[in-house]
Amino acid sequence: MSQDKSGFASGLVTALPIALGYFPIAFAFGVAATKAGFSGAEAVMLSVVIYAGASQFLALALVASGAPLLVAAFTLVAMNLRHVLYGPALMRAAGADGARRLAWGWAWGLTDEVFGAALGEVARGRRFSEPFMFGIGIGAYAAWVSGTAVGTLAGGGALQDYPAVEAGLGFMLPALFLALLLSILTRAAVPVIGVAGVATVAGTLAVSPTVGILGGMVAGALAGLVRK
Amino acid sequence: MRIEVLALALIVGFANYAFRYGPFRFGLGEGRAGGPMARFLAATGPAAIATLVVASVLPMVGEARLPLLAGVVTVLAVWGWRRSVVLATLAGPVAYGAVFALV
Repeated sequence: MSQDKSGFASGLVTALPIALGYFPIAFAFGVAATKAGFSGAEAVMLSVVIYAGASQFLALALVASGAPLLVAAFTLVAMNLRHVLYGPALMRAAGADGARRLAWGWAWGLTDEVFGAALGEVARGRRFSEPFMFGIGIGAYAAWVSGTAVGTLAGGGALQDYPAVEAGLGFMLPALFLALLLSILTRAAVPVIGVAGVATVAGTLAVSPTVGILGGMVAGALAGLVRK
Repeated sequence: MRIEVLALALIVGFANYAFRYGPFRFGLGEGRAGGPMARFLAATGPAAIATLVVASVLPMVGEARLPLLAGVVTVLAVWGWRRSVVLATLAGPVAYGAVFALV
């Protein structure tokens, strides 16, 4: 079924579940940064400039432990190498609608969740458009940066008295990823998903979470390549 | 603002932008429809999201398993019921937090 509503406002609406997931996680990041001795300005700057959740949490640990700048930078850059695959995969899914004239702007917002949501929408028949991508991207980015700012204002001990809330917030990203996976699930994708899952577990347990993530994505994509 | 924190952010932020925009700028991934690159890229989406599900759940497996089970089952159930990413994403953490508080 094809849907014509693919403008900026539709993108913002599509960003809603991402924003609902991002805000509390970014809040938790702001709280953690304050707790680790970062100023509010530094924490918000990290969210504005890096805009990659797992990297930012790791950045806190690396800076706090006194890791050399280049070692820390290399580690964080390697973590995000997977993003190289997202643009081409999205263009492939978009087919003839895959415009990229303004990609210099909206590609900045192509995080894991934005990519997953956009792919899910295209898979369900929504026409790809660049205003739509700006809508998803800006909605998610605004939630991430504002969540960080509110977290730094709340301070390091904000969630200390609410362990159940803190625990629930910790499950927000896994829940979002699982819901996104369900939204793009097809019979043809099952082998790819299985291979990616097994490779992620193996890489994480044998080497490191970063290797597990990269290995899982590449192994899953290769499984799609060998499948006729 | 510490200069080393700013420098780290700029290096990582620039790399992130290059990873996200670079393939568009340099036309990476363009290939024949139905060709090997097309099949590889078509599988990249499900592979990436499956990887992120596993990678985000894996560290939680060794901790509180009952809340994790409740969260996962709730996401699956709400998705099956409403086919809504929003509702499933919100319901899972609520169930996780509620069971965490009870056990």
